[in-house]
Amino acid sequence: MEVIKFNKKIYSLEAVKKAIEEFKSLAEFKIKDLDKYIEVEIDKIDNEYKGILKDEFSNYVLGLMS
Amino acid sequence: MKFDKGFNYKLRGKALEFTINTKIYSLKAIYQAAYLFLDKVYVFLDGDPEKEIKVIMKLKRPSFANASSSVPQSETSEDKSAGLEQIAGEFYNELLNQLLREKVSESNAKIREYIVSAALYNAVPNEVDRLLQEVEEEDWQEDPLGIAKTWEDKQNKEGLKKK
Repeated sequence: MEVIKFNKKIYSLEAVKKAIEEFKSLAEFKIKDLDKYIEVEIDKIDNEYKGILKDEFSNYVLGLMS
Repeated sequence: MKFDKGFNYKLRGKALEFTINTKIYSLKAIYQAAYLFLDKVYVFLDGDPEKEIKVIMKLKRPSFANASSSVPQSETSEDKSAGLEQIAGEFYNELLNQLLREKVSESNAKIREYIVSAALYNAVPNEVDRLLQEVEEEDWQEDPLGIAKTWEDKQNKEGLKKK
């Protein structure tokens, strides 16, 4: 399982949710709303994307913030 | 930590980390600069937008990086870190570029608003234009009551009828 912590002051919850919607066919995502971070747990990642999904997902969220 | 003419960064495994002072570069400029590098590297941001933003960059695997990337996708770790350093340097240049765009945008805001509002005002027909068009479209030349006819014309016609 992979975990990403998005800083709430930099990344919006809306962008994270939208990215999950786009990536949901490749893995299972869970969001936890922490004090300063939005924690995203990524599980059951498609074998083809195991090494890169976490980073690609982070990039996608950042792209939505621009 | 390396120090290279004011550019501080740390190499941590495959990732390169550096911080950006948000008193100089706005968060918006950082987002926009980062957006332009998403096809070459993985970018992750952290930190406090009111003080400084920490940027973490990782090279994409050759098969996933954009083929048009200017940085060679080499195999050795030294080459990889050199590639990351180059991209980080380009990132700083792009930050300056975005900062300049922001400043120009700010300084031109009023004139831009004026141009747009003038264009919109001219594009929407106003009340005077509408009334003028109504008058032009009116069928006043038909004169069904004969108001526009002269007295002579009327008399001639009546005279002809009597005859």
